[in-house]
Formats: sequence, C-alpha cells, structure tokens
Amino acid sequence: MSRDFTIKIKTVSELEAFRKRILNDLKKARVVLTLCGGTGCQASRSEAVSTAVKDELIKQGMDENVHVRVTGCHGFCEQGPLCVIEPGNTLYCNVLPDDAREIVTKTVRDGEVVERLLYTDPVSGKTIQTESEIPFYRAQDRQLLAQNRQVDPCSIEDYIAIGGYSALAKTLFEMAPKAVIREIEASCLRGRGGGGFPTGLKWAKCREAPSDEKYVICNADEGDPGAYMDRCVLEGNPHLVLEGMMIGAWAIGAREGIIYVRNEYPLAVKHTRIAVQQARDLGLLGEDILGSSWSFDVEISRGGGAFVCGESTALMASLEGKVGEPRPKDVHTVVDGLWHKPTTLNNVETWANVPSIILNGSARFASKGSNGSKGTKIFALTGHIKSTGLVEVAMGTPISKVLFDIGGGPANGIPIKAVQTGGPSGGCLPADKFYLPLDFDALAEAGSMMGSGGMVVMDEGTCMVDVAKYFLTFLQDESCGKCVPCRLGIDRMLEIITDITEGRGKSQQISLLEELGHTISQTALCGLGKTAANPVLSTLRYFRDEYEAHISKEECPAGVCEALITYEIDPEKCTYCGVCKLACPYEAIMGAKEEVHTIDLQLCQKCGICRSECKFEAVQIN
Amino acid sequence: MLQYVTLEIDGADIVVPRGLSVLDAAIEHGICIPHLCHVRYLSDIGSCRLCIVEHVVNGRSKITTSCTLRVQEDMVIQSNTERIRKLRRNLAELLVAHAPNSRAIQDIAVRCGVKEVRYPFRNENCVLCGRCVRVCSECAGANAIGFVGRGKNRRVDSPFGSLSEFCVECHTCIELCPMSIQPCIGYMEPGEERLCGACESQLDLADELPGHCVWCELGENFQCGRY
Ligand SMILES: Cc1cc2nc3c(=O)[nH]c(=O)nc-3n(C[C@H](O)[C@H](O)[C@H](O)COP(=O)(O)O)c2cc1C
Ligand code: SF4
Ligand code: SF4
Ligand code: FES
Repeated sequence: MSRDFTIKIKTVSELEAFRKRILNDLKKARVVLTLCGGTGCQASRSEAVSTAVKDELIKQGMDENVHVRVTGCHGFCEQGPLCVIEPGNTLYCNVLPDDAREIVTKTVRDGEVVERLLYTDPVSGKTIQTESEIPFYRAQDRQLLAQNRQVDPCSIEDYIAIGGYSALAKTLFEMAPKAVIREIEASCLRGRGGGGFPTGLKWAKCREAPSDEKYVICNADEGDPGAYMDRCVLEGNPHLVLEGMMIGAWAIGAREGIIYVRNEYPLAVKHTRIAVQQARDLGLLGEDILGSSWSFDVEISRGGGAFVCGESTALMASLEGKVGEPRPKDVHTVVDGLWHKPTTLNNVETWANVPSIILNGSARFASKGSNGSKGTKIFALTGHIKSTGLVEVAMGTPISKVLFDIGGGPANGIPIKAVQTGGPSGGCLPADKFYLPLDFDALAEAGSMMGSGGMVVMDEGTCMVDVAKYFLTFLQDESCGKCVPCRLGIDRMLEIITDITEGRGKSQQISLLEELGHTISQTALCGLGKTAANPVLSTLRYFRDEYEAHISKEECPAGVCEALITYEIDPEKCTYCGVCKLACPYEAIMGAKEEVHTIDLQLCQKCGICRSECKFEAVQIN
Repeated sequence: MLQYVTLEIDGADIVVPRGLSVLDAAIEHGICIPHLCHVRYLSDIGSCRLCIVEHVVNGRSKITTSCTLRVQEDMVIQSNTERIRKLRRNLAELLVAHAPNSRAIQDIAVRCGVKEVRYPFRNENCVLCGRCVRVCSECAGANAIGFVGRGKNRRVDSPFGSLSEFCVECHTCIELCPMSIQPCIGYMEPGEERLCGACESQLDLADELPGHCVWCELGENFQCGRY
C-alpha cells in the first residue's frame, strides 16, 4: 500500500476514519500471502522467497489483487521460512525461492494445496494443513504472538487495521492517569523482564515521586543466551510496544520515552526506528497527540553490549553515557532513575501487554493465569526437544504441557532429565517437578525462576555438574566485577566445580559450595550476583547424587566430564573395519586387520572422534 | 539548618544529622561495622559488601550495605546478628584468600571471625575496592586511574595502560590502598600465604565478643573514631 505522507491524525474520529479507509483497502485483496521475515526466517533466506513470490505474482499478472505481507517472527523458526495463505489458512514450511512458482500457480491461482510443503507432524508422521491444527500451535494461547502474523512491522496501517492505537485514544480521552494505574493494578500484570515486580505498583510509585520530569524506558536488552521473545515482539510488532509505552507515560506523567535495544538486534532497531518515524509522521507521537494537548516522544538507544547492561541501574548508567555497571538501589529507580529523575523501566513484553489490558479491561487479562501470575507469557523453548521455538501460554500452565504437548517430547528418544528455566541464572528442575505450573512463585519456590522465559530442555545424556559449570562460566564472563561476592564468589564456585568435574573434588566441597552460594545470593549488589548461584544450588538440590558420584566414585554418570571417562571398544560389536583407527588423530587405536581393535588409554585424548565415526556403536564410554 | 533523625542501631537509639549513611552514623557512635571500600570523604559504591546490615522494615529484615543506606527517622538496623556475622565472615574469607598480603585485609578477616580459609590462597595485589580510583577523581580531580575490563578481567589502570599524563603525583591513591600495609610477619611468597599469626590471640576475642574492636590497621589509617 502506498502511503500519503501529508495525512496527520489530529482527533480520535480522524483515527477511526483512517482505520476504516485502511480496512476497505485491505478488503480489495482476494488472497493474502503472509511471509515470515523475522530474524530466524531471514537466516534461512526468507527475503529471497518474498522476492521470488512477488516476481512470480507480477509475471502471472496477479499482483493487483494479492496482498503480500512480510511479517515478524511467528515463533516456529525451526520450520522457517514460513508462508501462510488466506483464505484457507494454509501453512507452508521450509519454503525455498524455487517453490514460489508452484505456490503462486497452485495455491494462489487455483486454490489447491501443495502437499509437499505442508508441515509433517514428527510424532504421527502425517501432514497438517493449517497452523491451528499443528500441536506446537494448538496448545498455545498466543495473545501477543498471534498479532505478529497480522501485521507488517513496517506498516503502521496494518497495526491500525487490527485496532491499534485505540487503547491510546481511550486512555487520553476516557481515563485519568490514576484510572490507568488502577486498571493495570487490577490486572495484576507483573514484569516480564525477570523480577516479576507488579507493574501497577511500579507506575503508582513513579507517579507519586515528585518531579516535573519523568521517563519511561523499554528494556529490550535481552542478553540471555537462547532467548529471543523480546526481539520477536519488538521486531514483529513495534507499534504495540510503542502504544504500551505511551499509555504508561500518560499514567506516570512522563514526556519522554527511551527504547533501549540490544546492539546485536539490527532488525529490531530498524523496525522500531521506522515505527517511531511513522507514528511521528501521523501525529501519534509528538505535540498535542490526538488533540489531547498531551505531548510525548520516544528515542531509540542501542545497548552497551553487555548482559549486565540489562539490569535497571546499569542500563540507566549506560544511557547517561557512563560505564554500564549496576549501582546500589537503596533508593529505587522509580524515584531516582535516569538523570536522577523518576523513571519507569519495563520489559518489552510487559509494555506489549498494556494496550489490550486498557482496551479489553483488566478482568479479561486476569482471567488467564494462576493465582499470583496473570496473563500469558512467552517462553523460548530450546534443547533436546522435538519442536523448538517461541511458545506463548497462559501463566500457570504445567511445565509438562509445554514439553510434551507443545514441544512434542524428547528429540532423540532419550528421556528428558531436566529443564532449566529462567535463563543463565535460573535453576534446573528434575522430571518429577514437571507438574509444576509456570508461575513466578511456584518456580521460585522450587529453586528456579521465571526469569525472562528461557526454557532449556536436557535429556539423560546431560551431566548436571557440567551444566552448572557452563552457566557459571557464562555468568563469570558477564559479571561486571564490581562487588566481592559476585566477582570472587563465582570464581571460587567455578574453581570448586571444575575440581569436581576433573576428579579432584572432595566431599566437604559440596557443603562449601552451598554455603558460598547462599552467601553470594544474599550479599551481591545486583540481580546478576543475587541469582548467580541458582544453577549450582538447584542442581545440588535435585541432582546431588551426580555431584557425589563425581567425587566419591570419580565417575560422571552421564559420561560427559572428560577427565572422568574412558573410551573402550566393545569386542562383541567391533567388526574390525578400522575406521576408528584411521580417524583417531592421536594414533591411540591399535588392531590389525581381522582383529578386535583396542584403545590405548595412555595415548587417548578423549576427543570422542572414534565414537562418532564408528558405525556399529562399538566405541563406548565408561 | 541541620536536621536530625533518630534511629536504632543494635538496640541503641542514636541521633545523627539527616543525609548521613548508616555506616557513618554507626562509626560516629562507636559501633564498628567492618568496611573496606568506604572512605569517609569519598562517595560510596557498595563494592566490598562487608558493611552489610539487616534493615528491619515491618518486622521483615532486608540485607543491605550500610554505606549506601541513608539514615531515616525510626529506622531499625541490626549490624551484628548471627546471620550477618556468617555472611560477613564468608566475604572476608573470600577477600583474604584472594589477597592475603595485606595487614588491612588480614585484620578484616580477624575482625569478621575468619579462622580457616577453605580456598586455595592467591597472591593478588589488588582487591578492587576502588578507593584509589575515587580519591583520584574526587579529591585530586585528576582521573588518572580508573577501572578497566569486566568481571574477572577488571583491574585498575590508567587510561590506555600507560602512566597517565593526568597524574598529579599526590600519592593519595597509594596511601588509601589497603594493599600498601604489609602483614606484620612480612611479605608472604606465593605458596606461603596463611592467616596472619600475630592476630590469633585477637581471634579468640573476636569470637567471644563478636563485633568487638580488634584495633585493626585499617581503622588507624582510615580515621576510625577509636584511634
Ligand atoms: C543481570 C541482569 C540482566 C537483566 N537483563 C534484562 C533484559 O535483558 N531485559 C529485561 O527486560 N530485563 C532485564 N533485567 C531485569 C531488569 O533489571 C528490570 O527488572 C526489568 O527490565 C524491569 O521490567 P519489568 O518489571 O517489566 O520486568 C535484568 C536484570 C539483571 C539483574
Ligand atoms: S552482583 Fe556481579 S554484576 Fe552485580 S554489581 Fe556485583 S559484580 Fe557487578
Ligand atoms: S589498588 Fe588498592 S585502593 Fe585501588 S582498588 Fe586495588 S586495592 Fe583498592
Ligand atoms: S564499605 Fe559498604 S560495601 Fe564496602
């Protein structure tokens, strides 16, 4: 759709007229072809697909009445590039540029289904035509993510077409700031950035703080490895976040907003920039918004490039041009924040939930979820599981439902042993805790946390001591190093865990680990240190026997810790093929032709190459 | 006009000017809360965490550093509970295991009741308390040194790693550095490190009377009210 840049929307009725016009325009399209252009699908060449499709439409003379929409991420990146065709709601997976012709000819022109591009259910082996029938989607409750499929992130018209900015209009003309805060409080919305702090309470405190200058900030620094829900929302539906921020700003009395986007998210930065510019062009940002005499504008700032910059005080320091390091929060940032002014900082997903709460009421939002945790939450499901991707479910959904109904169970047939929730400083929960609901309090009680919504699935082939070591290493690299417990404490925990995985562990070190872990969590300056011991404490709580096996039996039950395992060739299975002997870089394998091969343990460097090369599974770990 | 507030620290009601930190208020009234990164006339960054106290609000206590906590009317502070002593001892143990070659650090360990070090000693020569960095920027106005690097690689250095042309050679950084005070038994070579022997008698005292003054070296050099 071409855009008329001279239009300014100055009143609510002009907004409604504008919406009507867009909807009429959209009706003209006979077929809507939606292509996912999120970062995940872009990596699998979705751009080439959309060019090929558009070219093909022109070639066949159908570009007039087919609307091609390139959208943000649909969450099923593993199957990308994705393509959805309406009417019929047919979903095609793993689409290649070469498929464009067939899609246009068969599906767009003739309304037929291209069977080979349909999704195949890994469990039943059958093909499935529409998104809503796929188990991965069916068991979800996609309040936020579903919108990603309906809007082109670079088109404010698309967003307005699905009701965008009507929550803002309602806020400005029908609700006093205090009423907005009351509505958010009634919804029981809690921050999605990790802490789960009640959003309404945060806003109320910030509103009360005396100052003529206040700020709202959107935290899009998302630095957890494997997490990308914030990227997906900001990249796919930036106007939703923007509208949420505007409502928050009105409520607390801020005139300036800042979106702090992680530096490694170029597409999110680009789409947010475009969205802000479009909103300004239409008059939805700037002076006298919708004739309400209220003014507000938003700036975009790129992150400082460190995980710890996502912490509220570090983020604000970084915005002020200082080193992105946390500072003590004895006075909270809602009173003394950016430039010492009252500041409301919320996560992308938190802001994105605001417009629908205002528009549809807090009761509808609060109807989903569990006692202390309302609404839906997006999780990033990864690891040893059949279907990976972004999963949005109502809070309180049991972990097992996400793992088995949505994720389809273990990927390689090996049973699932644990799931790590809450990002690098979350905890590992064992299979007998999978009945637990995904809610802030239940997870915290079990020694893990909601965090920003990471979910790493681990099967029986995973060593839990090794997992703790992995996360500790990440946290050590990302700690700012300012305070003693985090800097020296994590270092010592890592030292002890390394001893344990390398066979030097002593049994008294287990209690030392525990004591040290509790010391760090109670004394560290910021949230990073306060949660850094979680991976160790939770694995000690649920998988203590693995630690003990490493120490007392010098054994790694999962066969992962190199120092504690030996490779051996099973004489029963060896077919004397000699592949392992050729493959071993250290010439540690002996054996003549027609003779069982053996590994010289002195020479073996435990690289595991022989094991992966042997086609008869004769190389075993002891 | 100075405004005063009344607060309770370890059961004692004390009256101090508004704006003071809880740590300063305590020191002023002869209550010793161990501390390392705090220097009276410099800004507080809360990095050593030794000065932790329990701040009791509505019957629930929150652990926080007293150097960064401002006094408030009717505040209730506990600086010497079992819980705090244990946490502080663990922090001091981390510090002395990291940099034992300092009388100041050894004294802190004694004061906090460290009797045994359960980690292999290291022989580092900086505990990153940041006293030098702050005095350089806040008093000398020179900004000749600062922190560089993150996490494990954090260190004090002059910008670009060469002796900065901003240094005014006032040497206050060295005066304030806890590592500049040698242990009484002299420099311990790598491999020889241990808890300082001369302090062992004090250790009993610290054990019997937790929170008791051990006449630490840091106190003498850094304006503890007792000296
Ligand atoms: C080390 C660390 C990293 C964090 N990273 C993020 C982040 O990437 N995104 C985010 O929204 N919050 C992050 N947080 C949480 C923020 O400090 C803050 O609580 C949050 O942005 C508040 O928003 P909410 O109330 O909407 O969750 C981080 C916290 C810590 C301690
Ligand atoms: S807890 Fe870690 S990241 Fe946070 S201030 Fe202390 S050293 Fe820095
Ligand atoms: S050099 Fe000394 S004063 Fe400076 S941070 Fe290190 S220990 Fe502290
Ligand atoms: S003196 Fe308070 S944290 Fe160091």
